Amino acid sequence: MQNKAFLEQPFFTTGPGWWRRFWTRSNERVGYLFILPSLLHLIAFLLIPLLFSLYLSFTDWRGTNFYNAPFIGLSNYEFMLGDRRWWNAMGNSAYFTALSVPLGMIISLGIALVMNQKLRGVYFFRTLFFMPVISSWVAVSVIWITLLDPQAGMVNYFLKSIGLPTVNWLGDPASAMPSLVMITIWKGAGFNMVIWLAGLQAIPQELYEAAAIDGANARQSFFRLTLPLLTPTTFFMAITGVISSFQVFSSVYVITGGGPRGATDVAVHRIYLRAFESFDMGYASALAWVLFFVIFVFTLLQVWYMRRREEQALF
Amino acid sequence: MKNIGKLFALLVVLALIVPTLAVIAQTEGQITLRVIGLEVVPEERETPLAIAKQAARTRFMEAHPNVFIESLESPPEFDTQLLVDLAAGTAPDIWYQDASTAARLVDTGNVVDMNLCLDLVPDLTLDRFVSGMLDMHQRDTGEVWGLPDGGTPMVMFYNPESVARAGLENPTSDWTWDEFLEFTQKMTLDNQGRNRLDPNFDEENVVQWGFRVRKYTFEWIYWVWQNGGDVISPDGTTVDGYLNSPETIEAITFLRDLVLKYGVAPEPSALDQLVQQFGFLTSFLRGEVAMFPRGHWEIVGLTTQEDYEPGRVAVVGNPSKVEDVTVIYESGWFINATVANDPDKLLAACQFVDELTGREYQDTKVVTGLELSANRESAQAAVEASAWPEMEAVFVEEAELGRRNYGSMYANWPVVETALDLMMENILAGGDIDEEVAIAVEEIDRELARASGG
Repeated sequence: MQNKAFLEQPFFTTGPGWWRRFWTRSNERVGYLFILPSLLHLIAFLLIPLLFSLYLSFTDWRGTNFYNAPFIGLSNYEFMLGDRRWWNAMGNSAYFTALSVPLGMIISLGIALVMNQKLRGVYFFRTLFFMPVISSWVAVSVIWITLLDPQAGMVNYFLKSIGLPTVNWLGDPASAMPSLVMITIWKGAGFNMVIWLAGLQAIPQELYEAAAIDGANARQSFFRLTLPLLTPTTFFMAITGVISSFQVFSSVYVITGGGPRGATDVAVHRIYLRAFESFDMGYASALAWVLFFVIFVFTLLQVWYMRRREEQALF
Repeated sequence: MKNIGKLFALLVVLALIVPTLAVIAQTEGQITLRVIGLEVVPEERETPLAIAKQAARTRFMEAHPNVFIESLESPPEFDTQLLVDLAAGTAPDIWYQDASTAARLVDTGNVVDMNLCLDLVPDLTLDRFVSGMLDMHQRDTGEVWGLPDGGTPMVMFYNPESVARAGLENPTSDWTWDEFLEFTQKMTLDNQGRNRLDPNFDEENVVQWGFRVRKYTFEWIYWVWQNGGDVISPDGTTVDGYLNSPETIEAITFLRDLVLKYGVAPEPSALDQLVQQFGFLTSFLRGEVAMFPRGHWEIVGLTTQEDYEPGRVAVVGNPSKVEDVTVIYESGWFINATVANDPDKLLAACQFVDELTGREYQDTKVVTGLELSANRESAQAAVEASAWPEMEAVFVEEAELGRRNYGSMYANWPVVETALDLMMENILAGGDIDEEVAIAVEEIDRELARASGG
């Protein structure tokens, strides 16, 4: 009743016909009212900046006098094609993704399988594995910089103590990216573990019991039962993993700054440098849109591949 | 009773109106200048620097009762925030900024040409400034964009204990590249005390390096100038013919050879290890690296280290070859271009910049020791007043030989500098010089052509 009275106010009952009809459709109008604050927030802080950055990518705006920024059409995109640094960064991002996504998934699945057992203190260990996820990237980075210190770091100390050669983990172009991947996996394993755990616990126990009756051993149960039934989880992990890997920034910014010799200069770091060190906002926007497009295409390919696999499995 | 009520109402109205009128009367003709550059970080409160800045503010407001200086904190990511504020129309009226990042603001007309101030404030004259620092605010077209506050030339820091350990005399500022090379060879010692010129020198056990070479352009660009070369054309539109000129290549080769051929400076990975193990300044004070190029601020950095002892830090001018030159880095005061729309405000801003660049405030630079005063008389006076008079004298002398850094001239310099840093990093890691330079030339010229709309 109160709702009806509210909707009878002149704001809703006057104006053009489409406006009045809209508010008289009782099922929708309240719903729209509820999502309105969220919608306004999305429009103001996501959609408008997004479209603004798309416009910027066609300008040569250098951070000052926006109204005088020349419109240069596709020049930023054209310049990008020959930008050696950008392609190096994209290559590094791809390398990072190729290493971190599969490795991260395998390691976190292994942890989840163990954490899915009825072990003593399993909740404590789950919490322990999840702790890096809630830690700040900066704090984690500082800890790892110390651990990987070529002289005083514990990692090299351990290697030395067992007679192995030490490594300049973050200072050598060959080992810097694998080191970053290792840190990223360590930090994200807890989160992935939770997702895997949810997937594992959704598999009916009866299936394992039936498989056991049919004589399947643990290995066969895992590869013939667990893994196929985890396909939706795998799909989700792969897509979100690729997206977040292409967006890696904090660890690179704090730990290596893109070095040594550009070996860890990834796409988002390069965009950041262009935008906030060179104040080359137009070009940085163009790079950001290209990165968006690349991630979008990768995601579409993954969706297509996974659907195809599902269809093949069905028929 | 009714009258008492009316009287009370009248008193209430008067109590509201009178103070309002008083405030209006007081603020009539009052000018507020919003200034960034007078506040210090929390850990520097109550230090001589903080006290000097506040004293300058108070002194000025006492002398100019119609001007209120609203002192604003310098935001983190100052350059970015300033651009945002300029775009939003909320930028301060006066701000303190590293001149090496000011070119973009000059190019876009965001700062006042200080010639306006020179006309308005007769006492404010350009001859009060150290010429090398003033250069950074001038263009060939005659404008003066901001005025210098303080800065430093790059000089050579050395550890006299390390020199004595090598059995040598302290260097003097009139040395040449050849003498410098021989000096660093003799300063590089193994654990048996043998130097690099000794045929039995043990390369595996170096305990004292003669010098430090790093990738950063600000630490090597003046070596190129000393050899008569340059890295960019005078109009800032190309590096082709400059960065790849024989003089420049020769200077880069000399620096590379100090690391890879003569072995008097640690390779980048060895240097990283030294830095990560102790911190570079500690390594220097302990004598593990005997010399390195740096600015005035490092005096403060070194003297506050645990391993500091007075006999462990000294400075000398850079060695010369074709030309005796170094690079200067400096920060100065800039007035927002919008201030020029209000003649009274502009006058007040100019007067305040006069105060900040005058003797009284500039004399306090010597107390903090972070930089050399841009005021010539203050800089000269600092030589006697300084806690390190010999070092201060070297800085004053070298400042006169200083050339402005390119960040103050070319808005696109950050892009060029980043490419040069990477080029040098690759060269110091063993990359072929001609190849690395060619790659850098191609990359930088692409960037410069794009920036100029080409």
